[in-house]
Amino acid sequence: MTPRQSNRRLVPAYLATGGRARPSRNTLDRLTVLYGATVTAPAGLRPEALRVLALLRPGALTVAETASHLRLPVSVVKVLVADLVDAGHLHARSPIPEAEQIDRQILERVLDGLRTLKS
Amino acid sequence: MGNIAAAIRCSFAVATFTPHTRTSMTSIPATLLWCLSAGTAAAVVMTFFLVRMRRGSQALRRHLATAEARRSAAERGHSELAAQLRATEDELRHLAEARLPDLATSLAHPHVAVRGLRDPRFTATDVDRSLTSAMDQLAQAVAKERARVDEAAQATMRGATTTIQALLYRLQTLLQEMQHRYDDQAVAQDLLQADFLNEQALRRVQTTGVVCGAWPGLTRDDSHLADLVVGAMSRLRGYERIQVSNLLRDPVGVVARAVEPVAIALTELLANALHHSHHELPVAVTLQQGNRGASVIVDDYGIGMHADEIAYATRLLGGGEQVLLTELGDPPRSGFAAVGQLVRQYGFTVHVESSPYGGVRAVVYIPGDPLLTLMDETAQPMSAMAPLPPQMLHAHSTPLGVPQTMSQGMSHAVSQTASQVDPAPGSAPVAAAEHTPARAPEAEPVRTPEPTPARAPEAETAYTPEAEREAEPWHEAEPAHAPDSASDAGLPRRRRRRPAVEPERPLPRTEPVAERSPQESATRWAALQSGTLSGRAEAEYRIPRPEGNDQG
Repeated sequence: MTPRQSNRRLVPAYLATGGRARPSRNTLDRLTVLYGATVTAPAGLRPEALRVLALLRPGALTVAETASHLRLPVSVVKVLVADLVDAGHLHARSPIPEAEQIDRQILERVLDGLRTLKS
Repeated sequence: MGNIAAAIRCSFAVATFTPHTRTSMTSIPATLLWCLSAGTAAAVVMTFFLVRMRRGSQALRRHLATAEARRSAAERGHSELAAQLRATEDELRHLAEARLPDLATSLAHPHVAVRGLRDPRFTATDVDRSLTSAMDQLAQAVAKERARVDEAAQATMRGATTTIQALLYRLQTLLQEMQHRYDDQAVAQDLLQADFLNEQALRRVQTTGVVCGAWPGLTRDDSHLADLVVGAMSRLRGYERIQVSNLLRDPVGVVARAVEPVAIALTELLANALHHSHHELPVAVTLQQGNRGASVIVDDYGIGMHADEIAYATRLLGGGEQVLLTELGDPPRSGFAAVGQLVRQYGFTVHVESSPYGGVRAVVYIPGDPLLTLMDETAQPMSAMAPLPPQMLHAHSTPLGVPQTMSQGMSHAVSQTASQVDPAPGSAPVAAAEHTPARAPEAEPVRTPEPTPARAPEAETAYTPEAEREAEPWHEAEPAHAPDSASDAGLPRRRRRRPAVEPERPLPRTEPVAERSPQESATRWAALQSGTLSGRAEAEYRIPRPEGNDQG
């Protein structure tokens, strides 16, 4: 076989939203956590929306993670997600604000504990 | 006559002379005798002359007659020759004024008929042969010159399009990187628009290049057929009217060398469908899998094509002949010509016909043997915008359905086993009633056609933690990571978290949430608290020796 010639994208990102990059709600952030609101996939959705729902069905992901899994720009995924949230298929939860974040020391201790577990 | 008169005059002279010679009587009879003999002799001479004269006049008369006949024959011949000359001149004039212009026009427009000889009497004569030969030579010279000019034009265009195409690809890369880099709405919006415009320009340039004999300009990896259709559609204005339904049973892909050609062909056919149908009508695209290949069927509900248009398209799409730029019209309609070129070079086929809906149906058939391949959906998942086959859509809609096709980290076989086994522990009471009957028949035929023996053992081993994640939530990371690291050995990618709010609810929401009694809640929270406490206690206990595990 010849070496990998080109990994140029075949399907451009604008196709996912029909060229829109302005989400219907501006509360979404890269770290907004998404989780599915319905268990069954609703009928009549476009493929990319179904794909988002399917990706989120086993558990929650942030917007950035969703974008990475779908290999789409975050801006486009925000539009998709905003539409789905509007339609009631998804729930979005804002990231935990900076001030309420858990102490770094505790995290380090948890990390250490985990390492110990693994050893 | 003169002779006779002379002879008579002579005999009279003899008679008048006789009285003077009367001196002797006996000389009279002698004289008479002499006279008589002289007269006889004169008569004989005269007769001889007479006969001779008559013979001469006869010869003269005959001579005269033949001369007369010859003259008339010559006259006739002359007039015939003159008529023939006139006819030949007419024929030549006809050649110059009618047949050669006809020929010149017909070389440019093949439907124009070239007139024949004006005078049918020339058929199969030397004149006919000469004129035909002259016309043939003219036709050959014109055709040769036209091909030469066309090749020069094509070479120029090829050079230009290749360069422009390369530049547009660089622009595309840049735009794509920027799309991933900038989240700002306004910027992102502009970037998407610019990307779309760039894509349209690329399509135009690429098609023109292909018509001019350039190669498609890009080699891709093996790609899903559905991705290819969606990618082709993304290059066209009005793509939102295109409705793709994917009826493929297997993850059919197109081999690397044919990806871009097929995409170009599909783009042109879709462009034709979009262009010739009203801007509110849909264009239906169906992906169909056959025994020996796969087809993409493009149906529009537009104005359709005339019989001669279909014939023209069929001729071009057959790919049998080199198309000249001059044949494409102005503005050049290069779509079918480009498709024809690709068909000839890459071996798929395109068929265009009037559809039963009144529009046009175009079918791209990709033979399985050289051009198709089965894709590994784990290593190379379909893009998010490509429609899933119906069985997978259905699988997605079942409760608890693990994303079976796309989930990048998760192997196909894992999801398969998971989806078949999962319902048993948790969702049995409620879901069994309505969902398991639907799932049972469709899970079997859908999944079994694509078993990969190599993957089976992996499925066995990977399944265990996946099934147990209900009980042990921490294990959910395990099955996800195993194939992930195997597939793309890049940075580790976090899979997903359990829903933080409702961690233990695999059931449909039909079950009312509020039914939990306060006692039960108390027990649960107590269990959680005690678990947390014991965990922390253990951690505290183990913390004193954290070293030595840094690599773990």
